[in-house]
Amino acid sequence: MDQETVSTICYLARLELDKNKSEKIKQDLETIIELIGSLQTIDTSSIEPLYSPLEMTALIHEDIENSDNKKNQFLENAHSSNEDYFLVPRVVE
Amino acid sequence: MSWETVIGLETHVQLSTKTKLFSRASTAFGASPNTNVNLIDCGLPGVLPSVNKEAFYKAIRFGMAIDAQINQTSIFDRKNYFYADLPKGYQITQMDLPIVLGGSIDIQLEESIKTINITRAHLEEDAGKSIHDEYDGFSAIDLNRAGTPLLEIVSEPEISDAKEAVAYMKAMHQLVTYLDVSDGNMAQGSLRCDANVSIRKKGEKELGTRTEIKNINSFKFIEKAINFEVKRQIKLLENGDKVTQETRLYDSSKDETRPMRSKEFANDYRYFPEPDLLPVVISDEEIQKIRNEFPELPKEKEARYQDKFGLSAYDSQIISSSKSMADFFDAAAEKIENYSLLSNWLIGEISAYLNKEQIEIHKSKLTSDNVAMLINRIDDQTISGKIGKSIFEEMCLSGSTPDEIIESQGLEQISDDGAIEEIIMTVIGENPSQVKAYLDGKDKLFGFFVGQVMKLTEGKANPKAVNSILKDKLK
Amino acid sequence: MSVQFKSITELRAMLDDKLISASELTQESFQLAKKYKELNCFVTMNEESGKKNANSIDLDNESNSMLAGIPLAQKDLFCTEGLRTTCSSKILANFIPPYSATAVKKLEDAGSITIGKTNMDEFAMGSSNETSFFGNVHNPWKKGYVPGGSSGGSAAAVSAGIVPGATGTDTGGSIRQPAAHCGITGLKPTYGRVSRWGMIAFASSLDQAGPLARTAEDCAILLNAMSGHDSKDTTSLNSTVPDFSENINQPLDGLKIGIIKEFNLDDLDKEVQARFEDSKRTYEKLGAQFIEVSLPNISASVPTYYSIAPAECSSNLSRFDGVRFGYRAEDTDDLNDLYIKSRSEGFGDEVKRRILIGTYALSAGYYDAYYKKAQQVRRLIKNDFDNVFQTVDILMTPTSPNTAFKFGSKGSQNPIELYLEDLFTISSNLAGLPAISIPHGQVNSLPVGLQLIGNFLREDQLLNASHVFQQNSDFHLAQPNLENF
Repeated sequence: MDQETVSTICYLARLELDKNKSEKIKQDLETIIELIGSLQTIDTSSIEPLYSPLEMTALIHEDIENSDNKKNQFLENAHSSNEDYFLVPRVVE
Repeated sequence: MSWETVIGLETHVQLSTKTKLFSRASTAFGASPNTNVNLIDCGLPGVLPSVNKEAFYKAIRFGMAIDAQINQTSIFDRKNYFYADLPKGYQITQMDLPIVLGGSIDIQLEESIKTINITRAHLEEDAGKSIHDEYDGFSAIDLNRAGTPLLEIVSEPEISDAKEAVAYMKAMHQLVTYLDVSDGNMAQGSLRCDANVSIRKKGEKELGTRTEIKNINSFKFIEKAINFEVKRQIKLLENGDKVTQETRLYDSSKDETRPMRSKEFANDYRYFPEPDLLPVVISDEEIQKIRNEFPELPKEKEARYQDKFGLSAYDSQIISSSKSMADFFDAAAEKIENYSLLSNWLIGEISAYLNKEQIEIHKSKLTSDNVAMLINRIDDQTISGKIGKSIFEEMCLSGSTPDEIIESQGLEQISDDGAIEEIIMTVIGENPSQVKAYLDGKDKLFGFFVGQVMKLTEGKANPKAVNSILKDKLK
Repeated sequence: MSVQFKSITELRAMLDDKLISASELTQESFQLAKKYKELNCFVTMNEESGKKNANSIDLDNESNSMLAGIPLAQKDLFCTEGLRTTCSSKILANFIPPYSATAVKKLEDAGSITIGKTNMDEFAMGSSNETSFFGNVHNPWKKGYVPGGSSGGSAAAVSAGIVPGATGTDTGGSIRQPAAHCGITGLKPTYGRVSRWGMIAFASSLDQAGPLARTAEDCAILLNAMSGHDSKDTTSLNSTVPDFSENINQPLDGLKIGIIKEFNLDDLDKEVQARFEDSKRTYEKLGAQFIEVSLPNISASVPTYYSIAPAECSSNLSRFDGVRFGYRAEDTDDLNDLYIKSRSEGFGDEVKRRILIGTYALSAGYYDAYYKKAQQVRRLIKNDFDNVFQTVDILMTPTSPNTAFKFGSKGSQNPIELYLEDLFTISSNLAGLPAISIPHGQVNSLPVGLQLIGNFLREDQLLNASHVFQQNSDFHLAQPNLENF
């Protein structure tokens, strides 16, 4: 796994690795990828993927309001908020 | 160098369901921040989405109207990326198996009609809103909009210029409002347009590099944004430079497009089927019900107005172009017989009033019953057309019925020949010199006498009767 | 009267006979939790509310629920309204949910008393309870040894007799394996049997909540209360829930038990193998018949799981971004910096590893080879099970290849060592099938577990087979010697 790939997936996941741990984690990732790569030898041509063990369809709901707004609790749980909004460092478009 | 523009439009239509796509929180516009947000919309740990039936029905209605293929089984996928107004860190959308596939829309150009093919339309949830410039150093996040159902409609790249793009968006607006799928309000954000614009040499088959233009929120800006972008790309290519594939923001205050910062890094969205939602299957019965309850579309209305009500093609087209106007006409038409009079009023006085006040008819104080009554009173000569106009002004202001206004202001037309004759004799008696001048040949003075009669009767005398009796008496 | 090590069934009788009140029982649980604090089973205690609820139960003479007044521990993966819920992670160290998980609510509505939230592997990722932000949990049978994971705290709390029952979650074996290592009974129901609403998601298509208790009989009681369709979870089954206690005593004559050919038990520790053979003989004496069956793709279970679970978790954990709740790093320059620092400081190494693997498996160019491929193999594995259940009623395997091990002795060099702990348990999560682990002996004074895997919706068969085994043996009655704690 080259460094660029590691950097890209770290960025996609918004994670950065400790300098002193990054080599070990990179090795761990390579080991795990080798493990999951072993599936390549299995013939799955014409097999549909199984995304859920349930062979059923989704329940769909009526368009009726069932508001469970807990605005104050939501805002209280946040690290930064005022009485109306969640706050984050200013984003410049 | 002859250049050709190729445009594909991605339209996001906010569906007019009462609740959100995956939660039962309200979608009502204008609520105070973070109040139309429940556990699911906030993306709290442990929450799960549940699908809104009505969103599917509206999407299907749209699909039927554009003659598209409806996928009765459709699945949802996750689109993974990080942004402050995307609570879960992924958007639930449809990638491989969207609800609607194919179809087409006819757009009205100056001299002709052009058909634009639709690639697909799919359901997805909207993100929240970020407010960047209200709090110093912070961006504020409001999740009211997060989870609102959107129908993303993708056109084939068959639009050739800015004017066609505007015509397409107008057709889209008419269609979604007609179908009661959305209130199609660009200014409020329930109808959004992203334009994919590219240039190529005339006659070339391959498409040029395209840019995506976002943040266009009016028909006017669609035209300006596209025109700016086309000019910009042509200039680049004529200079020997390349067009960079990127997302650009349209800035209406500067009338320019510029690259969007948050889209600087190419994003790998890592789509995969949403494991918290199983495939959604719409039954044949539900499809049939939607078909049965399908509303009448503009073209059908036009034909009906011509056939049933004898309106001209032109008048039919104008009245049917707006659903609220057409509904108003249909309701009023049940109570009258003079359809062309109604049509004239709608296209004339009433439209002028609505344009001046910048409101739609269903938001005004006018009701179809009241307008029907007005038409009837003019038609049966209770009042003259002229008096009708002043009654109309009062109706707009107070919402009172014509009868109430006629009575309270004593505006009933005087049609009794005897009464009119008496007044005419009074006028003749009071103006001997004008009578003499008229009888000597000054025909124009006829209008003077009519005017005097109208003055004495406060405009209420029946003009026809006045004319014939006056002619008779001035022999 | 000591309540330590008593089962739910026994405590119910004591409560009904007025030998003890709910308040006294609850009080004793809290005292036991304090006494055995060193086990580190609990992250948060629920004393004030717990005592209040127990008091209400005592005042309410109407209740005839099996669980009224019974103290239970809830795994800290379940949201509990007003009570801190951490998933044993720094990133949720101060999170107070504004709502409760359906499974917890159902147990509380049935009258049980929530004693506290149990320690676990961070975000349920692990097989030894060594990745918790709040420190390791000790196996009550041997200090300094792992209880198994990820539901290590729940298993240890039941094993040590602090509570008669607890909830756990099982994505690749996280109820069954700690139950085995701690000498108790743990059941993973059919996928969809218990609502996932309020259960903080790790891998959505694999996660399932279930009970841990001292006996199969008790597990049936807990499962009865926890199960049922929930309209808030569209992956929740709409099937009627049977009374799992009803046919639990059925004799086992004619029960066909499958032994999986591809699991070569000769590779296991001789003693572990010997316990397995002993249990086979017990079941034969009880009337069961053993048939060798083949699940040709079962050896692909571990790689399949480790493509799918990390992929789903990489997406499920994106909501932990420091914006609306949870840990947020200080001194960040901009939004991206906020994400990166908060997540990097808030998540432990195993969680980061899995998020990265998952991100990789889903990324452009790799999706087909890893994620999609794994889901295709998953179908092959499920098909194998469907096939096999045409000829047998249940399958039998050891729960784990080995007994509990010393802290730090596995996985530090090579993470796959720990992944292979789940060898026998993982496939039932992939196929969505129910499975149970019951204690069936000891090796070097450490418990060994026996696993039974059932057909879709057949928890009743598993509970029946387990209960009858327990009526004819006493392994489940063994108690750890806690004098070192």
